[in-house]
Amino acid sequence: MQTNPLPEKNEQSMAERRSFLKWMIGVLSAMIGLVMGIPYIRTVINSAPLRKLSYVEVGDINSLSIGQPQDLKFQARVTDAYLRQEVTRSVWAIKHSPDEVTIFSPICTHLGCHYKWNPQSRHFECPCHGSVFTIDGKVIGGPAPRPLDTLPHKIENGKIYVEWERFQVGISEKVRV
Amino acid sequence: MKWLWKWFTDRWPYYQLRDLFLKEDIPGGASFAYTLGTSLITIFILQAVSGVLQLFYYVPTVDHAYDSVSYLRTEVPFGWLVHNMHYWGAQAMVLLVALHMMRVYIWGSYKKTPLTWFFGIGLVLTVMAISFTGAPLIWDQAGYWAGEVGSSIAGEVPVVGNLMKIILRGGQEMGQLALSRFFVFHIGIFVPLLALLIGAHMASFRTSGVGGSWDEEKRRLPGPLWPDQIFKDMVTASVVFFCLITLSVFSPVPFAGSADTLNISYVPKPEWNFLFVYQALKYFPGPLEPIGAAGIPAVFVLLLIIVPLVDRNPERNPFRRPVAMACLVVYAGGVLALTIIGYLSPGFAQIPATKETKPAEQAAVAPQVSPEVKKGEELFRSSGCLNCHKVHGEGGSVGPELAGPTLKGKDRQWLMEQITNSRAHFPKGGPTTSMTAFTNLSKEQLDDIVSYLMSLAGSAVAAETPSGVEKKPSAEEIDKGKQVFQANGCSGCHKVNGQGGSIGPELSGGTLIGKSRQWLADQVTNPKSHNPNSIMPAFTNLSKDQLGNLVSYLMSLTGGTGMQQVPAPKGRKTQGQEEKAAASPEATSSPGVPSEEKALEELAGKAAFIIGSAENGADLFKEQCASCHGADGKGGIPNPGSDDGTVPPLNPIDRALYNADPKVFAATIDKIIQHGSMPSGPHPALHMPAWGDTRSLTQEEISNLEAYIMKLNGVDRGEILNPGIRPQTFFFIVAGLYLLVILIQGGIRIKKKIP
Repeated sequence: MQTNPLPEKNEQSMAERRSFLKWMIGVLSAMIGLVMGIPYIRTVINSAPLRKLSYVEVGDINSLSIGQPQDLKFQARVTDAYLRQEVTRSVWAIKHSPDEVTIFSPICTHLGCHYKWNPQSRHFECPCHGSVFTIDGKVIGGPAPRPLDTLPHKIENGKIYVEWERFQVGISEKVRV
Repeated sequence: MKWLWKWFTDRWPYYQLRDLFLKEDIPGGASFAYTLGTSLITIFILQAVSGVLQLFYYVPTVDHAYDSVSYLRTEVPFGWLVHNMHYWGAQAMVLLVALHMMRVYIWGSYKKTPLTWFFGIGLVLTVMAISFTGAPLIWDQAGYWAGEVGSSIAGEVPVVGNLMKIILRGGQEMGQLALSRFFVFHIGIFVPLLALLIGAHMASFRTSGVGGSWDEEKRRLPGPLWPDQIFKDMVTASVVFFCLITLSVFSPVPFAGSADTLNISYVPKPEWNFLFVYQALKYFPGPLEPIGAAGIPAVFVLLLIIVPLVDRNPERNPFRRPVAMACLVVYAGGVLALTIIGYLSPGFAQIPATKETKPAEQAAVAPQVSPEVKKGEELFRSSGCLNCHKVHGEGGSVGPELAGPTLKGKDRQWLMEQITNSRAHFPKGGPTTSMTAFTNLSKEQLDDIVSYLMSLAGSAVAAETPSGVEKKPSAEEIDKGKQVFQANGCSGCHKVNGQGGSIGPELSGGTLIGKSRQWLADQVTNPKSHNPNSIMPAFTNLSKDQLGNLVSYLMSLTGGTGMQQVPAPKGRKTQGQEEKAAASPEATSSPGVPSEEKALEELAGKAAFIIGSAENGADLFKEQCASCHGADGKGGIPNPGSDDGTVPPLNPIDRALYNADPKVFAATIDKIIQHGSMPSGPHPALHMPAWGDTRSLTQEEISNLEAYIMKLNGVDRGEILNPGIRPQTFFFIVAGLYLLVILIQGGIRIKKKIP
């Protein structure tokens, strides 16, 4: 080690050097944080895309009575992220004429519960928060923000095929998820 | 040994750390009032331990989470203890954290240590977050719906809602990714956060000191934290621990059944600690809801935050702080009241349920009602009046019952005023009203509702029956007819209002419109007279009265709905009918199915391996099975054409099916429920449908039914197969140990004269 001829100046430059070092520590930490942080956060804020189920057979139109909503259950193979599994789903079908039917998603537009048909009042009623819908799906009571969601469907040889979709709940527009 | 200790402490700051934690004087000395914090830390440690133990068995996947927890609870020694302690520990933590905060508020300690108070708010929120993310992990009905609805509410928060929901669920659906996330948030994020906050909370009273007594006189006599206060802490913690053991033994968590979105007989309601938010949200209907979703929690938290900022008065004695104490009563009372109202609120599903018990009465009354009254009733229902008011026993209990004498003597003007400005009827100084002013109704709407209300009071003149209908059957007759209908197993084949079998046509709605009484009587006693191919049994066993009542009931099913007439049911084929048509002895062995598949089919279904909820099973049984197997499975329903003559009872069940081992029992009855069975006999009128194969019931529903049927026969589907030590025995050992410790320490105290 050499003796320093100008101690004050050296001290001053050392102080400068140290504040620079502190600054650099901050910069390096921030760099690591940013480089890792942005992609890492992105992995968490990810909405798994929902694959639309192409037309699945849900039932026979001749088994429905006109004006009488019916809960149709059907089996489908779905992919939930990496799990491929057989699930049972249901839809509400309301037959208007021998070749006309409305299909409602069974999910309440309020917060995603499954609603029921009340044959006395002839309304759909949700058990969770009391939303009430007419047979056409219009909201006539409770907190639901929009009518029941209809699902695309077609009828071939008397069989009803439905395209299963989900929509965001709790908002007034029907937005596919 | 001593040198080893010295060697260690020379190199490691043991004494410094010990002093940091324990060297503290409490102004005014130790007190049991200050013991809640340590109890919370004790529970936190217990939760961490029982949580890690559960992880030895738990898997966070939608197809196995529920079963893995069931396995832990029934087949792992002391698994029942681990799971129940974790559950009750969680409940205790929420409760104690609230009590702890209240204690600090009453003592005015936040005035000395505001930062400690702020960390405390963080702790309350983190505890709530852990509670919220923990419930769905079991993936049972209760947890699944708590997660589904809870995260949907979070999704309603303006601006950031959807982002929060996506972060919580990993997408829009409550599926595998959501479960993974609830799991990680529960154990990987909120628990470490809680540990950090506990550290910060404790560190902050090392610098700002502890609150201690509010009495200036007493404060001059400080007492040490160690061991005086810690001893008292330990006593409270031991009492809490004993309570947790007691609850775990005598009030184990019921099996709620595996998550099942299709089982709509389950009414979702949040856990008790979120009921106040649930209830408060009801006061923000429609477009206001997002405001409530964000606003309610925000207001509750904000009120806590402003406490030390607003309250600058140095006085700590609660007896001299009337305003602060009044605020506490309002705040705590508000939370408590909302919780109780939320708890008692009917759960909307029960509204239609009560209706279904008297459809006949309603159908009979309906045609006499004038259009205004009808419209008024519709409006009354859709405007949410039933949330607060009961009508004929149905509805909420916030306001008075409106049918009967309540409204007698009130005129239209009074009622209109009551609806639009209820306060006008409650003079200042007297009792108050919390009724909303419904100023949103139009004049006509208001008129209709008032007409309806007047009709309830019986003071309105009912409009004349529009047409000269033949003699109306009385409600009593219809009711009796309904009983006949149920007692003879009609709903085994026929649906009424969506409930019942699907072998024959549905009877409510339009099916029977236009049929005469005579036609119906013939159909019941001799079905072949109308359709030679009919497979309906002839019910010749009915008396004339019974037949008359049954026909009245059937007629009432068509009443007043104004529905289109549908073509006669003849020739309509349902799935059940096809099955029935093919029903011959060889049909049950499914010809044409490859032998490999047949072998698989003979195995019990998935439901046999799920521990179902007997409680939900009881509801399902009433809806689906009681029509043939009798109420509570007692049997006795006739099955003409079968060798037995009646449908076999399930309570008690055939000895050949019974087994004391719940797994074997479940698998045995599962085969029958899944694939159905055909009773022996020439032409049995009724047979067991294949509930599983036809997917009339989900596997989860079947598992619930199995749990119920087993319960009827004295077998607990969730029986602890490998308890380690039986819960009751375990409890008595623990209680004995506690007693022993109490006696010994008492003895030592007396002998050595310890004060």
